[in-house]
Amino acid sequence: MRNSWIATTALVRDTFREAFARKIFWGLFGLSTVMILFFLFLLRIDLVEGGLAAVSAFGRINATRDVDKLVRGVYGGIAAFLYSWGMFLAVFASAGLIPSVLEPGRIELLLSKPVSRTHILLGRYLGNVLVVSCNIIYLVLGVWIILGVKTGIWSPLFLVSIATTIFAFAVLLSVVILIGVLFESAALATMVAAALMIMSIILAQTNIMLRLLSSEWSRQIWRTLYYVLPKIYDLGGMTLNAIQSRSFDGFMPIWTSALFAAVVLGCSLLVFARRDF
Amino acid sequence: MDGISLQVPRGTIFGLLGPNGAGKTTFVKMLLSAVHPTRGSALIFGRNAREPEARRPIGYLPENHRFPTYFTGAGMLDFYAALSGMEWGERRKRIPEMLEVVGLEQWGSVRIGKYSKGMLQRLGLAQALIHSPSMLILDEPTDGVDPVGRRQIRDVLTRFEEQGVTIFINSHLLVEVETFCREVAILDKGKVALSGKMHDLTAGKGYRLTVAEAPEALVEALRVKAASFASRNGFADFQFATRQLANEAVDLLREQRCEIESLAPTTSTLEDVFVRTVAK
Repeated sequence: MRNSWIATTALVRDTFREAFARKIFWGLFGLSTVMILFFLFLLRIDLVEGGLAAVSAFGRINATRDVDKLVRGVYGGIAAFLYSWGMFLAVFASAGLIPSVLEPGRIELLLSKPVSRTHILLGRYLGNVLVVSCNIIYLVLGVWIILGVKTGIWSPLFLVSIATTIFAFAVLLSVVILIGVLFESAALATMVAAALMIMSIILAQTNIMLRLLSSEWSRQIWRTLYYVLPKIYDLGGMTLNAIQSRSFDGFMPIWTSALFAAVVLGCSLLVFARRDF
Repeated sequence: MDGISLQVPRGTIFGLLGPNGAGKTTFVKMLLSAVHPTRGSALIFGRNAREPEARRPIGYLPENHRFPTYFTGAGMLDFYAALSGMEWGERRKRIPEMLEVVGLEQWGSVRIGKYSKGMLQRLGLAQALIHSPSMLILDEPTDGVDPVGRRQIRDVLTRFEEQGVTIFINSHLLVEVETFCREVAILDKGKVALSGKMHDLTAGKGYRLTVAEAPEALVEALRVKAASFASRNGFADFQFATRQLANEAVDLLREQRCEIESLAPTTSTLEDVFVRTVAK
């Protein structure tokens, strides 16, 4: 158990080290900082006061409630932006971290150590999730603190986006890992992950599409794809609803996406365990 | 691979040879579970090689290794030592020791992207030895290393052999293996074609007699009995197939008061043995 813990921390530290060396960590950190500075700049030009003034001009009386609403709206917009664009960047940045481990001359040495293949792959997965998590936490907390200090309104619900963004990234990373283990191609892994993100937007229009599709079997295919594939778009919608204190329809997008990630990760482990290097 | 079984005595240096494509690297990778046998299983120290614990007493240096260049020498040793289950305190003590053993004590904090090929080999050796394994598997450990570097690697290995570490070398450098290994096996077409002690495999070819300034008539008389003859710088070299023939030649030379420069048994080189084995 102790050996296992030492090996896990070594694998995680190695992922961080590689992320630093490949400028992935600093790239994400830099972009996050640029975004935080951008928000600072926006607030320096009194965006909130301007917004509030605009709201007041329409004859609203309860200023605090209006600011609160406005700030929540800003939070929602930021969360949606971070969720979509940030997710793509994170996947793009970390897609190379799996194939690099499988390079000839490197993988044999890893496999010669008293660590199981499952452990090696999951250690790498965990390290990758933590690299991106650090950046997401830094960015969301940074924006939250800036908005909170400026407006005096602290909306802890905004912090929900940390959990959902990390979760959605972890789901997409499972696909990146499978593609990496199968084909050792960072480019292909990014393409598939991006395709899943786009497909989730299309598939999320289930109610409309089921009405439009004429045959029953095509409706079945649509439903199957919707329930089987990860619901990145729906998860984003849930985050937005949570931030703006709106209700949402159950936790199905979470558990079906988690199930998808578990199955895909399981397949990756199976393929990795059987491969010859 | 076809039903290979090798016995490597504990504490010896064992060489695995074979022509290209004989299966040397595949065999080693099977032992380390990097390659899975299509049938049967690989056992190491009596344990199935697929069990991670079976690999704990093993140190390995692969051929054409690619250590991540973002590591420093010490950082690289720390990473692989941690994967072998070494505690932080133990690693902190052992890393400078191992860097010193391989002569890289001044290079621990330098990124390995700046290391020469020989330095990388020595660092790789330190990596394989850091967790005090009882068996070391080295795939072409001196390939591409200059003579000085080779000597350093050999010195390190000899030191660990004296400490009882079993060393398994997979190499195509026959001279290297011949001077260094106590036992050897030759793989050919996926099977063990020959195995045994180096001394036994290369022994028993004949005797070389070198004579200084012998009279021409005597030289002619000895040439008839010799298997081969060569003359250089006033010396005559005779190769006799048996000890008896060599003794008769000595008697003849001493009768005529000729100076004998040297007499020594000659052996087959490992190259001779290798070529004979794989050419069959």
